[in-house]
Amino acid sequence: MARIAFNNVWKEYGDQVVLERLNLTVGDGEFCTVVGASGCGKTTFLRMLLGQESPTRGRILLDGEPLPAEPGRDRGIVFQRYSVFPHLTVLNNVLLGLELKDAPLTARLFGRARRQARDKAIQMLDAVGLGQALDKYPSALSGGMQQRLALAQSLVMEPRILLLDEPFGALDPGIRSDMHRLVLDLWRKLGLTVFMITHDLEEGFYLGTRLLVFDKLRVDPQAPGAYGASITYDLPVGATERRLYEDIRDDVRATPRALAAAVDAAG
Amino acid sequence: MPVTTPRTAHWARFFTLFAGVLLASSLFSGAALAKDKFRVAWSIYVGWMPWGYGEQAGIVKKWGDKYGIDIEVVQINDYIESINQYTAGAFDACVMTNMDALTIPAAGGVDSTALIVGDFSNGNDGIVLKDKSTLADIKGQSVNLVELSVSHYLLARALDSIGASEQDLTVVNTSDADMVAAYASPDVTAVVTWNPLLSEILAMPNANKVFDSSRIPGEIIDMLVVNSDTLKANPKLGKALTGAWFEIMATMSKDDAAGIAARTEMAKASGTDMAGYDAQLATTKMFYNAADAVAFTQSADLVQTMAHVAKFSFDHGLLGEGAADAGFIGMAFPGGKTLGDGANTKLRFDATYMQLAADGKL
Amino acid sequence: MKRLINLRPSRSTGILLGLLPFVVLLVVYLAGSQARLADNPNDKLLPAFSSLGDAVERMALEPSKRSGDILLWTDTAASLQRLGLGVGISALIGLVFGVALGTVPYLRAGLSPLVSSLSLIPPLALLPILFIVFGLGELSKVVLIVFGVAPFIIRDLQQRAQELPAELLVKAQTLGASTWQIILRVVVPQLLPRLLDAVRLSLGAAWLFLIAAEAIAATDGLGYRIFLVRRYLAMDVVLPYVVWITLLAYLTDLLLRIASRRAFRWYHQLNGEGN
Repeated sequence: MARIAFNNVWKEYGDQVVLERLNLTVGDGEFCTVVGASGCGKTTFLRMLLGQESPTRGRILLDGEPLPAEPGRDRGIVFQRYSVFPHLTVLNNVLLGLELKDAPLTARLFGRARRQARDKAIQMLDAVGLGQALDKYPSALSGGMQQRLALAQSLVMEPRILLLDEPFGALDPGIRSDMHRLVLDLWRKLGLTVFMITHDLEEGFYLGTRLLVFDKLRVDPQAPGAYGASITYDLPVGATERRLYEDIRDDVRATPRALAAAVDAAG
Repeated sequence: MPVTTPRTAHWARFFTLFAGVLLASSLFSGAALAKDKFRVAWSIYVGWMPWGYGEQAGIVKKWGDKYGIDIEVVQINDYIESINQYTAGAFDACVMTNMDALTIPAAGGVDSTALIVGDFSNGNDGIVLKDKSTLADIKGQSVNLVELSVSHYLLARALDSIGASEQDLTVVNTSDADMVAAYASPDVTAVVTWNPLLSEILAMPNANKVFDSSRIPGEIIDMLVVNSDTLKANPKLGKALTGAWFEIMATMSKDDAAGIAARTEMAKASGTDMAGYDAQLATTKMFYNAADAVAFTQSADLVQTMAHVAKFSFDHGLLGEGAADAGFIGMAFPGGKTLGDGANTKLRFDATYMQLAADGKL
Repeated sequence: MKRLINLRPSRSTGILLGLLPFVVLLVVYLAGSQARLADNPNDKLLPAFSSLGDAVERMALEPSKRSGDILLWTDTAASLQRLGLGVGISALIGLVFGVALGTVPYLRAGLSPLVSSLSLIPPLALLPILFIVFGLGELSKVVLIVFGVAPFIIRDLQQRAQELPAELLVKAQTLGASTWQIILRVVVPQLLPRLLDAVRLSLGAAWLFLIAAEAIAATDGLGYRIFLVRRYLAMDVVLPYVVWITLLAYLTDLLLRIASRRAFRWYHQLNGEGN
C-alpha cells in the first residue's frame, strides 16, 4: 500500500521559512488536490514529493521507508509546460520510458522487445485519445493534446504516485473539463495515488477525494519570511458546503494581501 | 630582441592594401607632372636604415630645400606593401631589391628607374641546414622560405651551383615573421632567410650555414627606385635624393663621433644595438663612395645578374601570364646596354645622378 | 506622407534595391579599372574583366606549368580538407565537452574556468607555439582552427544544455533515466541542431584561422595562393580567389542549413520556421 507520511516536516532557506510543521498521511488511491496562494509552499511541497528538495527538518516516508532524495520511476509527473520531449514523436515520447527501463546502456529497444513496448505505448496513447497522432512532433499538437501526451508518457511507466503541477493552468476552460474527465477516468482505472497542485480553487474542490489548503497561520509584518505555511484545511471532498468554500477562498486571497501589506510596511 | 620584418610581408597588413590603395591613393593615377612635393617610402632593413636616419637628422630636408622641393620620407612597416603602394602610385620612390623591382613595379607596367644602388648582400642571406653540413644534403628536404623572395632566388642560384633544381626538393612558403619559430620546430630541417633572422637561427644548436649570398656577390641588390616619368619631369628630385644619400653615406662610414652616433641611431631604429648593426653591415657591401656605386652599375656583371633574375622570375611566373619569355620586360643599363624587349623597357639602371655625386656636382 | 519607418518596399523593389549596391560596386570597379588601364596597360591593381577571366581559366581549367596540377582545385581541396577536419574535430570536442559541462555540475565546476580561460587566448598568438609543438605541417593548421573554434562551441553548447528546461530533466528521471541515458536520449539529441547552429556561426572564424595559417606556412591552399601571388601584385588571381572563398563560405552555410532542416524537423517546427 502506497502510503505517504509527512512527519513534522519543515523547509527553510536560510532564515526564510517556507513550510513548517507539516503533518500529513495519504493513503493508497487517494486523489489530493493542493491549493493555496502563491508563495505558500505548494511548489516546494511538490518538489519534496518528487525528491528534488529535501526537508530541513522532519521526515517524509513512503511505505515506512524514507523517500528517495531524487526523482524516480515510482513518481510520475506532469508539469504545466515542458513535460514532453520536443525532439521525439508522440509515439517515441511514450516509448522512451520503456526503452530506458529495459536497455540501460543504449536506451533503445530493437526487434521483438521494441514491438512489445510499441504495442503497450500505442495502447496507452489510445487511452488518452492520441492514437491518431503517433508520428507527430509535440510542437504540432495543441496544448491540451500535449498534456494528454505527458500523462500517457508518465502513466505507461505504471507509477504508484502521479504528481500534477498545475497541469491544466494554461488550457482553455472547455478543454480543461475534458482533461478533468480524462484524469479522473485514468485515476479510477489505474488505482493511482494523485497529488494535483492547482491555483484554481474550484478545480480543487470538485476534483479528487481530498483537498489540502496551504496557507500561513501567522504573518509577522516585520519579517514576512519568519513564519512558513502549513496545511490549514484538510477536507474530504464532496461533504463540503458552499459557505466553507467561500471562507477558504477568502482566506487564500487574504494571505497575499497581508504579505504585500507587510512588505509595504517594512519597506 | 624583436625580430623586424624587412623585405617581405606580414599577412595581416594585406587588407590595408585594399583600403589604402583603393581609397586613399585614388583609383585614378595621374600622369607624371612637374611638381614640388614628393613622397618616398622605405622599410626597415640594414641597407635602408640610412633613409630613416637622413629624415630624422634633417639631411633629406636640407637637400630638398637646396633644390626647392619638399620630400616626405615615410616608413612602411611592411616591405611588400610599400612596393605595392609605390606601384599603385601612392609614392614617387621606394626602396626595394633588384628582383622585386623587376617583378612588381616593372612587371606591373610602371616604368621604374634604379636611382641609387645602395648595397648588395654579401652574406646577409643564407641557407641553413639542421644537422647536415653540405649544400648537396638539401636534396629531398622540405625547405622553408618566403616563396618568390630573394631567398627563393638565392636557393635557385645555390641549386644551379651544384647542378640540382627545385624539382629535387619541396619549397614550403613560410612567413619571415615566423621563420625563427619554424626553425625551432622539429620537422623543419632547412631554411633560407636573411639577417637578422639568419644570425638568430645560426645561433641555435646544429644549425649549419651551407650557402650564402657572398657566393653570388652583387646579385641581391638593395636600391632606391623612382618612377621614371616623375624623374624625367623632375630631375631635381633625383639630385636631392642622391645628394642626401651620399652625405649620409659619408657620415656613417666614418668611425668618428658623428659616424658612431649615426650608426647607433640606425641600430636603435632597427631594434638592435650598435654591435648587432655593425655585424649586419659586415655582411652587406655598402657603396659608401658614389664612384663605387657608379662602377658597379656600369659593369657588365649587372647585366648578367639581371639576366639571371629575369630567368628566375619568368620560370616562376612572376613576369605575368602575358610574358612569352624571360626577355618580356626590357631593361636598360648605362652605356646603352639593354636586356630583353626594348619596346617594353620598364626597368632602367641609371648612373647619371650617382655620377654627379661622385663628381661633386650636386 | 507616412513615416519613413512605415514605408516598405514591394518584393520586386526589395530585390532591385538589394542588387543596387552590387551594381554600383561593379561600375566603380569598371571605371577605376579602365582609367588605370588607359594610363598603364600593364596595371595589375584593378585588372580588366578579360584578364580576370583569363586568370580564372588558367587557375581553374589548365594544369600548372610547374606541377601539372590544376591549381584552383588543388588549393580548394587542400583548404576544404583542413577546414573540414578543423571544424569537424571542433564540433566533436564541442559536443562532448559542452554536454558534459552543461549536464554534470561536478565537471562544470572542475573544467569551466579552464575552458573560459582557453577561449580568451587569441589563437593567432599561439601560432609560434603551435608550430614548435605540432610542426609546420597540416597538423598545426588544423590545431589552430580547433583552438580558435572549439572553446566557442563548447561554451555555446554548455549554455544551451543549461538552458534546457529543468522540467525535461526531471521528467526523464521520473521515467527512470540514469545520467548516461539522459545524456544519450534527452540532452544530446536536443543539442545536435544547436551544434549545427554553433558550427555555422563559427565558420567565419574558422576561415580566418585557416587563411592565416596558410599564409604563414604552406605548400598549397586558397590562403597560401593569395598571399603568394600578392608578392607580385597579381590581383587578377587574388580577386577571383576572394570571390571563390566567399562563394564556398556561402555554400557551406547553405548546406548546413539544409542538412539541419532535413535532420531536425522538430527543431525548426519548434522555432516556428514551418516545414
